[in-house]
Amino acid sequence: MTAATTSDKRPYLGFGLGLRTDHYEEILARRPKVDWFEIISENYMVAGGKPLYYLDRIREHYPMVMHGVSMSIGGADSLDRDYLHQLKALAERVQPHWISDHLCWTGVDGKNLHDLMPLPYTEEAIQHVAKRVAEVQDYLERPFLLENVSSYVTYTRSQLSEWEFLTAVAEEADCHILLDINNIYVSAFNHGFEPREYIDRIPIERVYQFHLAGHTNHGDYIIDTHDHPVIDPVWELFAYAARRFGPVSTMIERDDNIPPLDELLTELVQAQAIAEPIYAEAAA
Amino acid sequence: MSPLRDLQRDFQRYVTQRDDAMRNQVVDTAQVSAETRLAIYADGYRLRLLEALEDTYPALKQYLGESRFTAAGLAYIDAHPSTYPSIRWFGDCMAAFLRSDASPCDEPVVAELAAFEWSLRGAFDDADQAVTTLEDIAAIPPEEWPVMHITLHPSVRRLDLQWNTTSIWNALEDGATPEPPEQGEYPTPYVIWRHELQQYFRSLPVDEAWALDQAATGMAFGDLCEGLCEWVDAEHVATRAAGFLQQWTVDGLVCAVATS
Repeated sequence: MTAATTSDKRPYLGFGLGLRTDHYEEILARRPKVDWFEIISENYMVAGGKPLYYLDRIREHYPMVMHGVSMSIGGADSLDRDYLHQLKALAERVQPHWISDHLCWTGVDGKNLHDLMPLPYTEEAIQHVAKRVAEVQDYLERPFLLENVSSYVTYTRSQLSEWEFLTAVAEEADCHILLDINNIYVSAFNHGFEPREYIDRIPIERVYQFHLAGHTNHGDYIIDTHDHPVIDPVWELFAYAARRFGPVSTMIERDDNIPPLDELLTELVQAQAIAEPIYAEAAA
Repeated sequence: MSPLRDLQRDFQRYVTQRDDAMRNQVVDTAQVSAETRLAIYADGYRLRLLEALEDTYPALKQYLGESRFTAAGLAYIDAHPSTYPSIRWFGDCMAAFLRSDASPCDEPVVAELAAFEWSLRGAFDDADQAVTTLEDIAAIPPEEWPVMHITLHPSVRRLDLQWNTTSIWNALEDGATPEPPEQGEYPTPYVIWRHELQQYFRSLPVDEAWALDQAATGMAFGDLCEGLCEWVDAEHVATRAAGFLQQWTVDGLVCAVATS
């Protein structure tokens, strides 16, 4: 796999994986054909030891992006300055192509639920998040992406669809989007909307990255567990997104029930086999 | 108060305390009631934090068994909601919690086991620092040894353990059945540290524990020798102190030596 650059200004890194501790040694020993790795920022906000040792060594061989889970960009509390300071320091070390976090809140009144809590799709929330994204971008001085989360509730006070909300925030804040294809599938199932309509309504130029992942289907609802392979309907949705957005840096995100590296590489090859003919056809 | 903050407070109270103010703020779907939808968050919260505690305290979990560990973990989650951006720090008060009246465990050894595992976890990712070598120590002229003082590696931790906690931990690590908890007549001092990415621990004689604690505060070698006279004859004290220093250096406990 070779990373290329799109004809427009959107950087294209190719096909990546989430960096997980189980694979550290194997990555260094084998140098698998992965175009880039995404790290969970919080896992490396430590003083030293193994996490930073392996991070530095793997970074020597692979481009990286940073993905956070605790910025709470939609939280009602003030932005956590200490957290942002640590994030910026880590970015200095990693020199990522970009930094991302989720369009959500993670706690209030100083607490952290360690979950990606959905925001109400309201004008108040759009203005609140957009103002904070501007602060974050000014401080980090790097491209910043917001990711759509899976959600299990619909608030009575929401006035917009999820895609209208995501688009409005990204436009108002002038930031980029990390589009999680599995999360669109999960939320579409849970809330009863058409996932392709979601994809059709997201502004093309803002999408810098795709996430692909597995989930757990409980029959009446789906939970975004990241502990299974990507399922066929999500691959189909990915193909649909590849047609709309063109070359977008794509990665497999597995957070639990971590399989051998080869299994993830096989999934990554599948992503490549789906997307590259679509990109080639569009370019022809 | 903003509507957004109100909503987040209500939802957080639901997740942490099952407060029902959220019920009317979430819509049902044809298949799934608002209660079920909300419960996904409340259940996920406890499961996720329990997993974090299992990750930090694997020996404690083995010792207590699934159901007692879950009971202790859930009680801890309710008593100590996380305030950290990283879930890695979530278990920081576990040992103190297990010592408190709020703990569902009445075995004192479990609090020590938690304290020991938390120290190992801390040594795992504490700051990196190049360690001092025996050559660095040998380069100090003998006449400057009385004012020589050292800096310990950031990962170095000290614990005084009342129980046979490390024997229990070793057995659990090896997949063996641990011996029953046994309280020592006196606490045993331990040092825990990381060297070249690996965590280590060992027990210390009481004079070495005292010397290490004082060295950590920057006490000069001459003063250490003087203090060690409480345990060692004056004619042997310099040899004893030099032996400690040599061992600490070889083990990777020392990251700087200075005479000023």
